[in-house]
Amino acid sequence: MRRLLLAASAGLALTACVQSRQYADVAFTPPQGDYRLLVMRPDVTVGSVTTGGIVEPRADWTETARANLIAALKAQQASRGGNVFILEKRDGLKDRGVEAETIAELERLHYAVGSAIALHRYAGANLPTKRGKGLDWTLGEDAVALGRKTGFDYALFLHAEDSFASTGRVALQVLGVAGCVVGFCAPNIGGGGQFAYASLVDLRTGEVVWFNVLQTGTQIAGINIGDIRKPEGAAKMVERLLDRMKPGRDVRRAMQAQDRGARQ
Amino acid sequence: MSATVSRRALLAGGGALAAAATTGVAAARILPRDMVPLVGPGYRPTDKDEVGIWQRMERVEEEIAGSNLLIKDEGLNAYLRDLIGKVGGPATRDMRIYLARIPEFNAVMFPTGFSVVFSGLLLRMRNEAQLAGVIAHESAHFLRKHQIRQWRDTRTKSDLLAIGSMVAGVAGAAGGVYTGDLARLAELGAILSVLRYNRTLEAEADAMGVRLLADAGYSPAAMHITWQQLIGELDASASYRRKRRDRNYSLFSTHPAPERRMADLRISAAEVTVPGRSYDDHRARYLQAIGGIRPMLIDDQVKLNDPGASQYIVETLAQDGWNGLLRFAEAEVWRLRNRAGDDARAAYGYAAAVRYPDAPADAWRWHGIMLQKAGRAAEARAAYQRYLTVAPNAPDAPFIRQQLQFL
Repeated sequence: MRRLLLAASAGLALTACVQSRQYADVAFTPPQGDYRLLVMRPDVTVGSVTTGGIVEPRADWTETARANLIAALKAQQASRGGNVFILEKRDGLKDRGVEAETIAELERLHYAVGSAIALHRYAGANLPTKRGKGLDWTLGEDAVALGRKTGFDYALFLHAEDSFASTGRVALQVLGVAGCVVGFCAPNIGGGGQFAYASLVDLRTGEVVWFNVLQTGTQIAGINIGDIRKPEGAAKMVERLLDRMKPGRDVRRAMQAQDRGARQ
Repeated sequence: MSATVSRRALLAGGGALAAAATTGVAAARILPRDMVPLVGPGYRPTDKDEVGIWQRMERVEEEIAGSNLLIKDEGLNAYLRDLIGKVGGPATRDMRIYLARIPEFNAVMFPTGFSVVFSGLLLRMRNEAQLAGVIAHESAHFLRKHQIRQWRDTRTKSDLLAIGSMVAGVAGAAGGVYTGDLARLAELGAILSVLRYNRTLEAEADAMGVRLLADAGYSPAAMHITWQQLIGELDASASYRRKRRDRNYSLFSTHPAPERRMADLRISAAEVTVPGRSYDDHRARYLQAIGGIRPMLIDDQVKLNDPGASQYIVETLAQDGWNGLLRFAEAEVWRLRNRAGDDARAAYGYAAAVRYPDAPADAWRWHGIMLQKAGRAAEARAAYQRYLTVAPNAPDAPFIRQQLQFL
């Protein structure tokens, strides 16, 4: 999925960028008030970009980032009034009668559906049957059954990757910039960046009602935009990813019509 | 790199370098006695890069452990755990093994010490020694820390490549020389060298595997026999399709050529054999362990629509004696292949299969169908009746009962 998105955005030759693009079900209203949200086990990986440009996973950074993101998510949701339960392990709902296997299957199903959304909404392979329909994907009965069993209104799936340039990569970057003086210019070799997505599933209908992809990249090694290894960076990512949740098209139009009516 | 060197000289130099990197392919055989384990019991990584990979692998293992491709048969899984316990060297207690229903000749080891064995491997192995040989090879990958060594090798080489092309670019630009071609050549050199390192590791795993196998009391010759079977199967599969086996086991391959591995394994096996010690292949124990799933294994293979390979496998297994299951499988290969004369061959095959006491129920069914087609109503009737006796709850039992009314 990440590769697809990278390919889709390869045309953008910005030195550093933050991009997020959200899609919503046409009838989507962002959850407000007293709703119950289940956050599925956040899938977080943090790595270091080697001099040669490969991302090497780092266990300590990943653990810190995961904890930071969970804390940031709790704080952000509390401010919206929702009741949040974060599923940290697959068997976290066992006392409510949900087996680890059921959660695993839902995660796999969401992975497949999320990949389809990435392909057909973000990577440019648009489907004529989905044109003008906002976000039109569902996890079906399995998600509804989970909602019925546990009493949650929504499930949020979260995936985050982050990587940071190693010292060697930064040194290489310095050389690339220095080379410009003699005419061999490699000012943007790339050095890490974030990729994250969030997907909100309405557990009363099973539908994926809102989806957002966030990508922050830097083509200059050594420059970071938000560092999820730090609490502020994690809060920034959660804010970029989840804070500006827009309602669906039909809801927006109805609101606009109402506004016009109120003004007249 | 001096700026006064001409572009031609640079290219020639790079070419020689790349050539030097590849001629190492004909390296000497790795000796089993040199293969000491690099991990002890209860190994946990401490280096940052390895810890990172282990953490990621935990998620992978969780996914695999919960996969619905796994064959859940508890007895068989206990048997495999037992086996990795015998040939796992010092890490016997740390390794995990999963059996996946994938009809391919393969097994893999992950960096954290869990292995996935494909069901197609169980189909092809003629005895426990052969299976233990493959598992010993996979254990050796873990014991010799191959994945992390491979990762570090790739990282170092890609680092050097990045630095090299940047330095060459800057130096070249300063001297007014275009080095793009050289950089590309160096890149090829780096890729070739990474692949070669991978082949060295495979050869190490072979050498250590053969040693682990002999130490556990299995016949070390089992390993090169496995390779012989693989070569034979690939040839049979290709020749059915009127093609040649893919022989591109050269510069760009990650594993050494099967012939080369077979030859090395044969010498290594002789080397680790202790005169006077008796080695066993535990064929009976093996057949008992996989007996329950063998019909499924054969059926999965036959349905792959690779008649060349399927027939080779059936014939290889039949070297230990024909039985009803193998005769039935052979007939199925012919029936599904459907070349001129294959229906008659299949009919003979089913007729042969039902003569064995272990003939599967389906052999009776197909025997009946073939007889009915040939107009031999009375015999067809008997075959169908036998089918219904053996498999009274078969999904098509009502249909067969209906057929019986017309015979």
